[in-house]
Amino acid sequence: MKRTIFLTIVTIVLAAFFLVTDGFADDSGGEIVYKSVTFSHKSHVDGMGFDCETCHDGIFEMEAGSMVASPDFSMDSIYNGEFCGACHDGSMAFASDDDCTTCHTRPGGDILYFKPVKSVLFSHAVHTEAFGCESCHTGMFKMEALAAQENDDFTMESLYQGEYCGACHDGSTAFASDTQCATCHLGVKGYNRMQGGEQANQSGH
Amino acid sequence: MRDKIKQIRSRDNEGIENISVEERRHFLKMGLAVTGVFCGGTIISAVSAVNKVYASAGEYAAKYPYKPHYSMVIHVDRCVDCELCMQACVKTNHVPDYGYRTTILERDVPDAVGQKREFIPVLCNQCNLPQCTRVCPTRATYKNKENGIVMMDISKCIGCLTCQMGCPYNARYFSEEIHAVDKCDFCYKSRLSKGEKISACAEACPAGVRIFGDLSDPSSPVYNRVHQLEKAVWVMRPEAGTRPNIYYTKG
Ligand code: HEC
Ligand code: HEC
Ligand code: HEC
Ligand code: HEC
Ligand code: HEC
Ligand code: HEC
Repeated sequence: MKRTIFLTIVTIVLAAFFLVTDGFADDSGGEIVYKSVTFSHKSHVDGMGFDCETCHDGIFEMEAGSMVASPDFSMDSIYNGEFCGACHDGSMAFASDDDCTTCHTRPGGDILYFKPVKSVLFSHAVHTEAFGCESCHTGMFKMEALAAQENDDFTMESLYQGEYCGACHDGSTAFASDTQCATCHLGVKGYNRMQGGEQANQSGH
Repeated sequence: MRDKIKQIRSRDNEGIENISVEERRHFLKMGLAVTGVFCGGTIISAVSAVNKVYASAGEYAAKYPYKPHYSMVIHVDRCVDCELCMQACVKTNHVPDYGYRTTILERDVPDAVGQKREFIPVLCNQCNLPQCTRVCPTRATYKNKENGIVMMDISKCIGCLTCQMGCPYNARYFSEEIHAVDKCDFCYKSRLSKGEKISACAEACPAGVRIFGDLSDPSSPVYNRVHQLEKAVWVMRPEAGTRPNIYYTKG
């Protein structure tokens, strides 16, 4: 939360700066904020001395959001040397398949599943203390909240078979999925409390 | 413990009246010591002591007061408060939103080791010695003689709410639609009387929490769950002395 606010402030300050100076360095793009990744023009242009053409002559459009709209903008492409992977290949800059958290600075927060049943809480804060992003985000889970609950097999049976949360919640890495039901499950009551809390939070802003 | 059971079992043939008061008390105590609350109803004669407090503990199936003797066993630790049971109940029995026939209680124990939250399904306990029917001045609420379900005759209900105050389980609500008190009838009107075998809530539960059946029928899923000694089975508020027919267990 703090970090989000901080980043927002940075973005606003940068934006204000560029507005005031009427386009420092040909209106360099500032901070590009993706879901959990922030790309900094400042560190790449000022810090590392790349000029605009290095990236804006084929690798990236000069328009925030155009990449996100493209289905190719994924880790697979990045691993294959496209986009950020053009440089983040382990020789020119740190490898994409290595330091996930250098780019992915904001984990997903709390995710409250409500299908097939209300409700199950997954907390990044609890899990990222012990696990790197790659433990879960290479195949097991997308970096997209609630994506899993769109799958028909997001059920206890799958968990018992070692899928999804069951990959760890098997009684050895973490408590087994057929125990402590109410540790994962918050129920309808928990769901209503969380939604209520969120709404209260939003109206507080 | 095993010796004790053997000993008691061997006396079984001699008839219940031959077991000394002391022995009975001893067994009951053992039960309490083992489970903390209640040693599950059994088919050995020690149940004659348990039987003083609990409905199900008939020594033989045939001695159950009702046939079928409807009962529910609740695997309480499997409840995840998805409330599909409540939804099914409301839909099946047209329960108004200000009342409930079954609900889920939540208990938070922040200092507990491991799981810190518990969900507890509750409903009318269809007691063998119900307070509610005893205190009803018009006999609008009564125990069905065949199956033991505590029923309402709404034409007799005067809405005095004495039954509500008498119920230790908070299982009754006043329905403004019918101007009478209403309650869980194990889906007798909506389902059992039409040939269905289990209540709507038991059918809706995706987690195997609510097991519905006939306590006097050895082939019923509730029978083995109650008539065994290995796993603790208990009832809510046994001190009320109403001999409830809703049992709780874990696992
Ligand atoms: C290391 C690569 C890199 C370099 C060097 C770079 N950019 Fe960018 N730029 C990006 C990326 C990535 C985006 C976001 C594209 C997207 O998400 O669609 C972007 C977006 C932009 C945008 C759009 C921002 C917005 O908010 O719409 C502008 C403007 C921009 N860059 C200007 C520049 C200028 C001017 C320079 C040279 C001073 C420069 N960039 C150098 C990678 C780079
Ligand atoms: C033109 C080459 C190039 C491209 C394209 C590029 N980077 Fe970098 N990046 C570098 C270099 C060089 C460094 C510094 C070397 C190092 O730390 O290994 C760096 C450092 C970083 C850092 C650490 C410094 C900081 O800003 O905090 C992050 C994070 C980063 N890049 C993210 C990205 C992301 C996200 C993209 C794609 C949107 C991207 N980079 C695209 C070359 C590139
Ligand atoms: C060089 C920076 C960088 C590094 C290092 C990096 N990522 Fe990414 N990652 C990105 C960018 C940029 C996106 C696209 C952002 C978006 O769509 O929000 C992305 C998107 C993703 C996505 C969602 C899209 C998809 O492909 O499914 C996942 C999952 C992901 N990264 C996982 C990882 C994991 C795991 C690691 C470490 C092994 C890692 N990333 C390391 C920059 C990086
Ligand atoms: C223990 C497993 C686990 C770990 C470790 C983990 N995540 Fe996640 N992450 C998840 C799950 C589960 C989801 C939700 C996916 C779904 O619902 O399909 C998710 C979703 C996300 C999302 C999307 C959130 C949204 O609001 O759309 C982001 C971003 C994310 N993770 C980033 C990270 C980053 C960055 C790290 C490393 C610092 C990380 N995660 C580590 C399990 C994990
Ligand atoms: C990469 C392994 C891993 C995955 C995947 C994983 N967990 Fe965990 N989880 C752990 C570990 C380790 C712990 C802490 C150890 C323990 O308590 O047994 C934990 C703890 C928890 C806790 C207890 C948190 C607390 O406050 O104590 C919950 C709830 C939980 N996980 C839910 C989930 C859910 C839901 C999913 C799937 C969406 C999931 N986990 C996926 C490893 C994992
Ligand atoms: C490690 C976390 C975790 C534990 C422990 C857990 N669940 Fe789940 N459960 C999930 C997730 C994730 C889902 C799918 C998302 C949802 O339905 O909200 C789910 C879904 C369900 C569902 C609906 C889907 C289905 O399989 O029918 C039921 C019922 C359920 N759980 C019951 C239980 C019971 C009973 C226990 C204890 C014996 C339990 N769960 C323990 C995470 C957990």
